[in-house]
Amino acid sequence: MKLRTTLIASTAIVLAGAASAETMKIGITQNNVGVDSYQTTYERAFIAAAEENADVDAVVLDAGGDVARQIAQIEDLIQQDVDAIIIWPTNGEAVIPAVRKAHQAGIPVVVTNSNIAEAGFDFVNSFSGPDNITQGARSAEIMCDKFKDMGIESEAQVVHITGQPGYTTAIERAKGFEDRLPEVCPDVTIVDTQPGDWNREKSQQVMEAFLVKYADIDGVYAGDDNMGVGALNAAKAAGREGIIFVGATNFAVGYEAMAAGDYWGSIYQSPVDDAEAALQTALDILAGEELPFLNYFDTPKITQDNMGDYTKPVF
Amino acid sequence: MADITKQQIGAFLGKQGILIAFFAFLIGFTIANPKFLTPDNVLSVIRSSAILGVMALGVTFVVISGNLDLSVGSMMSFSTIVVLDLHDKIGPALAIPAMFAMTLALGAFIGFLVGRLKLNSLIVTLGMLSAIHGLTLTYSGGKNMDIADKEGTWFSVFGQGEALGLPVPILMFVAVAAFLGLVLSKTSFGRKVYAVGGNSTAATFSGIPRARTVFICYLISAACAATAGLIQASRSLGSQNTVGQGLELEVLAAVILGGASLLGGSGTIFKTVIGVLILGFIQNGLLLIGLQFYVQFIVTWVIIILAVWLDIAAKRGKLWSQIA
Repeated sequence: MKLRTTLIASTAIVLAGAASAETMKIGITQNNVGVDSYQTTYERAFIAAAEENADVDAVVLDAGGDVARQIAQIEDLIQQDVDAIIIWPTNGEAVIPAVRKAHQAGIPVVVTNSNIAEAGFDFVNSFSGPDNITQGARSAEIMCDKFKDMGIESEAQVVHITGQPGYTTAIERAKGFEDRLPEVCPDVTIVDTQPGDWNREKSQQVMEAFLVKYADIDGVYAGDDNMGVGALNAAKAAGREGIIFVGATNFAVGYEAMAAGDYWGSIYQSPVDDAEAALQTALDILAGEELPFLNYFDTPKITQDNMGDYTKPVF
Repeated sequence: MADITKQQIGAFLGKQGILIAFFAFLIGFTIANPKFLTPDNVLSVIRSSAILGVMALGVTFVVISGNLDLSVGSMMSFSTIVVLDLHDKIGPALAIPAMFAMTLALGAFIGFLVGRLKLNSLIVTLGMLSAIHGLTLTYSGGKNMDIADKEGTWFSVFGQGEALGLPVPILMFVAVAAFLGLVLSKTSFGRKVYAVGGNSTAATFSGIPRARTVFICYLISAACAATAGLIQASRSLGSQNTVGQGLELEVLAAVILGGASLLGGSGTIFKTVIGVLILGFIQNGLLLIGLQFYVQFIVTWVIIILAVWLDIAAKRGKLWSQIA
């Protein structure tokens, strides 16, 4: 009995101590944790980063891909009077009214990973995430450099497998790639573009059709490594060698295929960096720092040549 | 004599309308791109279709028995993830039967709810669609599942191997189709499936065990989903949690396209196979033609409607009905 009282007393002291220091309560509502490894790792990294920082008290929520739930979660966070809200939008349009509410309540909003629609920019303090247009452009540079090494930059033919049609990430990466490639390698042609829906199996089927349709394919650009490896599987099964595969969002399978020499390069985008950048952005805003509206974290090029500098992705 | 022949042709056309539609599309796509009918392309389309196809074979039983199965997409994801995970833990020889046992248990659960408790199959399997997806995510912790040693495992044989000069997935699809085709058309169990789907009450009064028949149909469907998961896992030796997401509707489309009635009581394995192949060849044909993908969604729909129309037109011998 006595022990319990002591415990309660000491807990109360800890709580009081925490409250008296400058604790910042930061709420996050995520898109859909558990649906893929990236988001799962992101959540873990976010919690770890929040725990490491004694001044942060994090409220971690997940919308499970459901817009309505996310809106309710934002409203809950407003009610709880958190110091800042971080949102990974389930839908760039539908969350805007809820974001406006937070803004009107005087709570700073950080959008993470994927931006909301432009109509909502006035209510957002900063966007923290990858720059997908730059990622697409960098993939184009990786591919072009490799073609130059091989001496085929004047004739190479490329096929392009995009993410799910309609997704901002898919559209931006495709745009970055298609705009940059003619600048660096003007004589390389993109002979076909089809969606692989972020799905390895779908991408494999698309690549099978490409292999039938085109006798000569020198390069494949896929919107992420999952699809890139699907395309690689198709080429292997068809016995077509010498194709240069370049992806984005380096996954463990892509990293392994690079190590095996089958896959040329990708863009290293770490969910850990993504999560830590989101938290840091929120903290910087609370500290009164001036941040660019689009506060990108760096996503470097990774190829067979420099992969030793990077650890294998955990997802 | 001539009349009889004409009648026979008419009867054949009426029965095989969907087959005619199928050949019409093949000819159309081949004219658009001559590479369409090359052996390499045909084999690769059938191999890709095998996964959807095997699932559709099982669902055919469920649909004929007058029920639906919308859980097969999630179930396929589940078996793919489970077999990939267990592959590295207990080895492929044990992983495969363990995966089948777990998937069949799910099928048995659905069969119990629909067969024994007589719950509405749409609600039960729609619920299981998300429940099994949740189960898969819980099992994997949301991570992609990959086999560590991709080069040194015999497990790749189901998805990538060849035998008798044909890809193994095709052989498995053909074998399962032949076996289930025989079960459906030549055994007393097959006749019970038609009877239960055609008129459940009459079947019950004729002493046909409705609950058990429905139960077994769901077991067959689960076994097929597990086989599809096996092929899928072996084909890419790694997988996302969402690999089968959305396939349930494609499977159902293939079964209905093949002429099985959603009300139960009709359909055959052979026609389901044709339905599967039509879907597979449409997808591939549109890619080869190189239509912009936004347009492909619309064209796919148009072709499916055309196929259904041709099927019905062949049955009544006229393109449109006089008493519309």
